[in-house]
Amino acid sequence: MNETEQIRSKAKELLDSKKVDCVIGYERATDEKNARPMFAYNAKDADRLIFDQTCRHNLVRYLLNRKDKVTGIVVKACDSRAVNLLINEHQIARDKLFIIGVACPGLVKTDWNKPGDKLRDACQLCQQRTPVIYDVLIGEAKKVEPPADAYPDVAAMEGKSVEEKRAFWEKEFSRCIRCYACRQACPGCYCSECFVDRLDPLWVGIRIAPGENEMWNTIRAYHLGGRCIGCYACELVCPVNIPLSLLNRKLEKEVMKLFKFQPGLDPETPQPLATFQKDEKLGVAE
Amino acid sequence: MSNNKNPLLPHLATLENVIDLTPDVRLFQIELNDADFKAKFDYKPGQFIFVSAFGTGESPFGLTSVAHRKGPIEVAVRKVGTVTSSMHDLEPGAAVGVRGPFGNFFPMDQFKGKNIHIIGGGIGFAPLRPIILTILDHRNDYGDLFILNGARTPSDLVFANEFDTWAAAPKTRLELTVDAKDDNWTGRVALIPAVVKELQLSPANSVAIICGPPIMIKFTLTELKKLGFADEQIVTTLEGKMKCGLGKCARCNVGDKYVCKDGPVFTFKQISGLLEQF
Amino acid sequence: MSKYISKKDLNSWLNKVRDNRRLVAPTKVDDLILFKEISRVEDIVSDYVNTDLSPKEFLFPPTEVLFSIEKKNGGVELTPARVEKETVIFGMRPCDAKGVVALDKPFLEDPTDPLYKEHRDKTALVGISCLKACAECFCSSMGSGPDDPSGFDIMLTEVKDGYLVQVLTEKGKALLPDSTLSESGEAKPKAAEVATVPAKDVNVKLRQNFEDPYWNRLADRCIHCNMCSYVCPTCYCFDIRDYPNKGKTDRVRSWESCQSAGFTKIAGGHDPRANKGTRMRQRFAHKLLYFPEQFGVSHCIGCGRCVKSCPVNIDIREIIQDVQKLGAKGE
Repeated sequence: MNETEQIRSKAKELLDSKKVDCVIGYERATDEKNARPMFAYNAKDADRLIFDQTCRHNLVRYLLNRKDKVTGIVVKACDSRAVNLLINEHQIARDKLFIIGVACPGLVKTDWNKPGDKLRDACQLCQQRTPVIYDVLIGEAKKVEPPADAYPDVAAMEGKSVEEKRAFWEKEFSRCIRCYACRQACPGCYCSECFVDRLDPLWVGIRIAPGENEMWNTIRAYHLGGRCIGCYACELVCPVNIPLSLLNRKLEKEVMKLFKFQPGLDPETPQPLATFQKDEKLGVAE
Repeated sequence: MSNNKNPLLPHLATLENVIDLTPDVRLFQIELNDADFKAKFDYKPGQFIFVSAFGTGESPFGLTSVAHRKGPIEVAVRKVGTVTSSMHDLEPGAAVGVRGPFGNFFPMDQFKGKNIHIIGGGIGFAPLRPIILTILDHRNDYGDLFILNGARTPSDLVFANEFDTWAAAPKTRLELTVDAKDDNWTGRVALIPAVVKELQLSPANSVAIICGPPIMIKFTLTELKKLGFADEQIVTTLEGKMKCGLGKCARCNVGDKYVCKDGPVFTFKQISGLLEQF
Repeated sequence: MSKYISKKDLNSWLNKVRDNRRLVAPTKVDDLILFKEISRVEDIVSDYVNTDLSPKEFLFPPTEVLFSIEKKNGGVELTPARVEKETVIFGMRPCDAKGVVALDKPFLEDPTDPLYKEHRDKTALVGISCLKACAECFCSSMGSGPDDPSGFDIMLTEVKDGYLVQVLTEKGKALLPDSTLSESGEAKPKAAEVATVPAKDVNVKLRQNFEDPYWNRLADRCIHCNMCSYVCPTCYCFDIRDYPNKGKTDRVRSWESCQSAGFTKIAGGHDPRANKGTRMRQRFAHKLLYFPEQFGVSHCIGCGRCVKSCPVNIDIREIIQDVQKLGAKGE
C-alpha cells in the first residue's frame, strides 16, 4: 500500500471506531494537481485523503481551534515538531491527538495549477525526514546525511555587508502588503491579540510603509526565536514571495550556536529563550 | 445629514459637560461648533451619531437626548474599549467630532394612542430615553407608559437622577430591577425577562420597545411572545461593529440589512426575516 | 473599418502620458506581475494574462489618509486629503474594469465618498482585451467577458503590429484624440475561450439554503489570512483608525477582510460572527447575494485571483457549483 492508501485506511479505522471526531489531512485541490487541507469526518470523506509532494500545508495550525475534541492529524516531519512545540507550550493535549506521521520525501516547488518537480529549497536542506512524534508511522523512516553546512542560505546573507543587507531587505519588504497570511499559516503564531492588532500601546501602525513592514516581519521572526520549527509555511503562503524563511533560519542558527537547541524535537525540553535556570551561563554553549 | 460634502469628515464640536451616571458610564453633553450646522441638526429617537475622540478614533453612540428640547446633544458612553476609554479621559472644553445623525428612528407616530412598554438593560437603556422624554413632553398623545429599567447592580442603573420625574408623570409606572443587590438596595432583585413574566404585561393596544445585551433581548422576547405580543408589536434597536455609518464599509450587516442604514431600529417581524443572527 | 494604433505610435503616446500624468501599467516585480507606476515605457510587460494583485489599489489604496487632525488655536483643525495627480491605468483587463464598475457602486452612491470620487475622476482606464484566458478565469459567467468594454475609457484589441482601438468615453477621447489614430481593415481577433461556472440564480439558491452546514465545513480549512479580500478587485471592507504622524494625527482608512476573527466584535465582547462558518458564509453571501441584489451588478467578476492565491484552495467556482446543488438532495 502506498502512503495515500495507508492514510485512508487508518483514517477510516479511526473514524469508524469513533476514536477521533475528525481526521485532518490533505485532498486534491481544484486544479487537479496540488493538494489542499481537508477535514474528514467519516469514512466517505476519508476516501478523498491523499499524500504526495504537494502536501505543503502545516495542518497543526488547525489543532488550536479543536482543543476540546479528539483529532487525528497527518503530519510530516516538520509538522510533527510543531505538535511538540504546542504540547510544550500547553496549547494542545497529547491525549487529544492521534498522530499519523508520514515519512516525508520533501515537498516540490509548486504553485496553483503549476506543479513542479524540483524539490523546495528548504526541503533540500532538511535533515529530518521522519516525524519525531506519532501514533503510527507511514512510509519508511529515511536517514538523511547531515550536510556540511546546514545553513548555506544564511551564510550567504551573513557574507553581505550591512548596506547590502539593508538594501536586500528594503526591497523584499517593500512588497509586503501586510495581509498577515504568514502569521495565520504559522502554528507558533497563536496570540489571542497579536502585537500588530494592539492599539494601546500602538506598536506597529497600519501604514504599509517601509519602517512598519520591516517592524512587522522582523518582530514576528523574533517572537518565533527558539520556537520556529522550520516548516516555513509563512514563506509558502506569502502572496508576494518574500523569503521569510531567511529570517527564521538566521535565528535558528543563532539559537543552535548559543544553546545547542532545535525546537520541537520533543514535547518536554524547556525552551532556552523561555526558561531561566539559576545556574545558567551566558555565552556560547560548549 | 452628516457633512454631506464629505460624509467621513466629522463636524467639530465641544464637550460642554460630563456627568457620571454609573462607575463606568458617563453622559456627554456636546455642542456643535458651527452655528449654521447646529441650527439644521435635527434627529429623532432611535438615531445615532459617531463621536470622534481625536487621536484614537470614533465610535457610534445612540442619541439619548431629544432634538425638540433644543439642549446639547447627549450620548451615554460606557468605558469598555479603546475609543470609549479615550473619551472618558476628556474634560469639559475638549474638542470632539460628530458625524450624523444616522439610521432610522422609532416610529413615534405609530406609537401614538398606544400603551408603551419600555424595557431596557444596562447601557442599552440609553437609546430608549428619547422615547420616554418624547412621551412625557407630549403626554396626551400616548396611552399608558410602563418603564422597566434593569442593571447588574444598583450602581449600574442609568439615569437614576430622572427616576422621580418619570415616576411622577401621569399614567406612568416605573419599575427597577437588578441582578444582584448591594447593602442599600431594597428593591426588586430579578432578571428582566423574569420581571416581564411576573408583571404579566398586557399586549392590548400596546407596543414594547426593548434594548440591552443580545441575550437579554432574546429572553425578554420569549416572555413577551408568551404573553401574547405579536412580532409587529415588539421593537428593538440593534448595535453592530461600525466604521462608516453609511452602509458602505460592509461590516454591520445582519444578513442583507445594514444596522446603520436599514436600522438600528427593527421590529421583531423584521428581525425574524433577517438571514443572520444579530 | 476600425480605429487602429501601431505599437510604435502606442509607445510614443504612452511616453507622452507618462510625462504629464502618473502612468500605471503591468510590470515584472521579481517573479510577479503587478500594476506599478511606470517610469520607463519599456518596463511594461505584454506577455501576461492578468496581474497577481488587482489594480483597485489605485482607486482605493490599501492605506489612505482621509484627513489630518491638528491641534491649533485651542481647538482642532481637520484637513481632508486631496488627490493631486491624474492617473492612467494601462493594460487593465475587462474583468478588472467590470470590477471598477462594481467598486463604484458603494463608494459613489449617495452619500458619495469624495476621496474615491477624486481618484475615480482623475483616473482613466485603458484596457486590453483578452485573447488568452487562464485556467482560473470565469469572467463570462459573472457578467463580464474577455472583450467586454464596460468600465473602460479606451479598449485595445491586439492585432498584428498594433491594436484596434475603441474610444468609449469623453475622457478617453480627450486622452487619445482621433488624430493619433488611423484606420484598419483587420478583422477583430477571436476573444479568449473562457471556462464557465453555473452562476445563474446562485443568489436564490444561497438565500434558500442559508442555514446549511456547508459553510461550517468549508470554513474548517480557512486560516483567515485575508488574501482573498486583498487580491480581489471588488472587495472593499475597510477599517478607520487614528494614527499619530509627526505631531499631527492622521485618520487612516485601510483594507480589512470580513474573514478576520474579530471583524464584527464589539467592544464589550459580543461578536455576531465569532464562528468561522458564519464569516465564510458572509463572504460568499456578500459576493453572490447581498451586493448583486443591492446594486444590480455582480460583486465577483471572475478574475480567478482568489482561486490562485488562496493557500488552502477555497475556490469560489467550486463553491458556486456546490451552492447550486444545496437543498437538491431533499426539500
